[in-house]
Formats: sequence, structure tokens, C-alpha cells
Amino acid sequence: MKSIQIKVTVNGEPMSLDVRPYETLLETLRERLHLTGAKEACSLGACGSCTVILDKIPVRACLVLTAEIDGMTVTTIEGLAANGRLHPLQEAFMEKGAVQCGFCTSGMILTAKSLLDREKKPSKDQIVRTISSNVCRCTGYKKIIEAVMTAAERMERT
Amino acid sequence: MILPPFAYARPKTVKKAIALYQGAKGQAVYLAGGTDLVPRIKQRLMCPALSIDLKGIQALKRVTLTRDWLKIGANVTLYDLKNHPVVAKYYPALYESLNTTSCETLQMRGTLGGNVLQDARCLFFNKSDTWRKARGFCLKMGGESCNAVKGARVCFANYASDNAPVLLTLGAEVLLSGIAGDRQIPLLEIFTGKSDSPFTLHNGEILTQILIPAQITKGGYLKLRVRDSIDYPLVGVALSTADGRGRLAVGGIGGKPLLFEFRGDDRGWVERIADEALNQSKPVRNTVLSAAYRKRMVKTLTKRIIKLVMGEDRR
Repeated sequence: MKSIQIKVTVNGEPMSLDVRPYETLLETLRERLHLTGAKEACSLGACGSCTVILDKIPVRACLVLTAEIDGMTVTTIEGLAANGRLHPLQEAFMEKGAVQCGFCTSGMILTAKSLLDREKKPSKDQIVRTISSNVCRCTGYKKIIEAVMTAAERMERT
Repeated sequence: MILPPFAYARPKTVKKAIALYQGAKGQAVYLAGGTDLVPRIKQRLMCPALSIDLKGIQALKRVTLTRDWLKIGANVTLYDLKNHPVVAKYYPALYESLNTTSCETLQMRGTLGGNVLQDARCLFFNKSDTWRKARGFCLKMGGESCNAVKGARVCFANYASDNAPVLLTLGAEVLLSGIAGDRQIPLLEIFTGKSDSPFTLHNGEILTQILIPAQITKGGYLKLRVRDSIDYPLVGVALSTADGRGRLAVGGIGGKPLLFEFRGDDRGWVERIADEALNQSKPVRNTVLSAAYRKRMVKTLTKRIIKLVMGEDRR
């Protein structure tokens, strides 16, 4: 099958890729670019562990064909730290112990980031609503919500 | 889970998309948000040779309010539509159904057209290829009999759009573009009533626009599901009223939503509608909840939504 050439920016780095037309964004990220922060769990769009940010919108990378995203910008968990400093969400997740096995964490953080990017001061209800797009099977939502609230407060102050 | 090989095309016009479909000799699918389609292809419920991405067609992304209609391009995402000021003001039931469709992340990707044209679902159909092969293919896969109801010769899969029942209560119509040209028909006419092939659309036809009569309504939507965060409706009940008349629709059971009309000044209409909805709903054991429970919840949710929306206007 003929490959498809696309231009994308991944974590700030512009690149051009030759991809299979039926290749998912998750496969491209993990297997071509070796960005393994986005995890594959259900592979059917239900769990959110493969969430990445595509032009400001959180998407399930397992449901997006890489061929669809020509000209777009992708942010993965690997692209959040800037100048050697972790993103406030990453710091808050560590501080609050919002990580148990860690499999859902990159998806949780990126979903939360997309919320904080469009909403400076989200209410707890809004955070719960947004985070409910992602599943944590260690059952640790309380600390995740606390971490997002803490990060939101800090980001507002700076 | 790996996708089977298929080609990809991204046309810029509806006409081009239809031409591509014709060129693929019936082996093509139209791709919008992909939140329903991609899992189906992964599970080998369909194996297209070509996926035609409709997201490059700008005309399908517009929402326009005219004197008579709110015209919604089929590729408008559920999230964008939910946050459109006209929806909250004119159609509270639609706001509710959009807001409870799946989860926020999938609302941002999924489109209204794709939500309306999602195939019917069944606990014994939406499974991996290996699972279905081990069980033996059901009617919906071209097999001999149903895997949900022993010996049955008809399919009982559930049409699980949250938004189509609401659109029916609002008197919505759809604009379709196909090989033979354009046609505008009432939304109800796209349903065959058959769960194994739910839609009357012709091969290659594209749903381009959903049109809702431009008027302020009162309404609401209630859905039964196990997890409030993401699930499809196991029963969904929609109600919209304006000027003392209204419609109630029941979704999530069988191949098409049930639709009932009422006038607020009919005596005893609440009981009549609740009983009709109960009697006509025929759930079977093909979801994670029992058929008996879902059937009882039809009446419960019907009365609850009427109370919520109509309040003291009920008789």
C-alpha cells in the first residue's frame, strides 16, 4: 500500500514522515518516534491512556490516523517539560502522590493540561468532568483531582 | 490493536468524496471523527479498502441560523455544538444529550453526523474478531442466527445515539448528498427499523447537514448507563415541547428510536405516553443490564423527564 507523506510538529520539532495510511497516531509516536509516554491499553478509545494533545485538543491517539494530521501540532508528555523544568502539573502529580502504577498518568496530565490551557480557574466540578474522560484502574482519582487543583492555583499565580 | 490495511483519501468537496466512493466499488467508508468507526475497523466488524476522510470539507463544519432552521454541518463536533449559544437557548434537550454523550475528550473529536449514523451495537457483536469466530458469527455478521436471543432470526442490536432521539423530538431533518443528487428528508426516514442494517441511506450517500426548526423549546434528556463518565445509553429518553405540543423519544433499545407525540391539553397524556413507551419498548438481554430492568426504566425515565421538563404544566 502506498505510504502517505505528512508534515507535523511533534513537541515543538517540525518533521516530515512517511506513514502507512492505516497507521494510528499512537503507533507513529511509540514505534516510529519512540515516544512511549502515550500508552496503549484498551485500543478502542474507551480508557484515555493514549491521550495526546493535537492542536490544543486532547485526542485518543489510538483512534487518530497519522495520515489525518498533516500540518498539525502534537504534544505528548515528553514535550511538557521546558528548560529542564517539569510542567506544574507534573510537579503537582508527584507532590500529591497522584500516581500509583502510572499507566494512566500521561493521559491524565495531558487531558488536565488541555483544560488548564482553555480555563485558567477551573472549578472542582469542571476538573472532575474533564478528568472523567480518562480511566485510572488503581482507583486514585482524589489525589489526581487535588494535583490538578494545585497546579491550576500555581499556574494562575505565575 | 492493529488496523487492517486500507488506503486513505482526504477530498475537499462532497462531490469529490462521492466520486472516490464510486471508484472504490462499494469497498469504501466515510471517516469523520473516527471515534465509532476506528474501533469497528480494529475489531474487523468492517474491512474497507479505502477510508475517505470528510474532515477536509470546510462546508461540513458550519453552523448557521436562518429564519426557519438551525443548519448544522455534519462534521461539527459534539463539543463545539454543545457550546454553541443557540443550542443552549433554543434546544435544552439537545444540550443535555450532547453533554452526556460519551466523555468530553471524545465529544471534542466525535461529530454530530457520525453520532447519528453510528451502527447499532450489541454485547455479542461489538467484540474482537477472535471472540466472534469462537462464538460463531451472528445475523449482523452474516451468520445463521442471533447470539443474544437463542434461535431468533432477527437482529436485536441497539441503536445507541444519544442525540438522534433528541433530534427526533425537535422535528429535525437531514440533508443527504449522493450519486443521484441531494435530498432533504425527515430524520425518522433514515431508519429502517432493522438492527442489522439500520439506515436507509443509499450506497455512497453522505449526510451533510442536520436541520432543526428554529424555535425556542423546552426539553430534556435522561439516560440510563452504568458509568456516568463514558457509557452508551442503555435506555435514553428525550422530550421537547413548544406551544403546548411535544414529542417524546426513547432510544437505546432496538434498531431505531421510538417517537411519540402529545398535546399538553389531552387528558391523562402523561400516563398514556408512559404506557405506550413501556409497551412498545422490547429490550432483550444484549447489554450489561437485564432486559427486564431496562424495560421498567423506560417508564420510570419517561415519567421523570416529563416531571423535570413540564413541572406544573403536567395534567
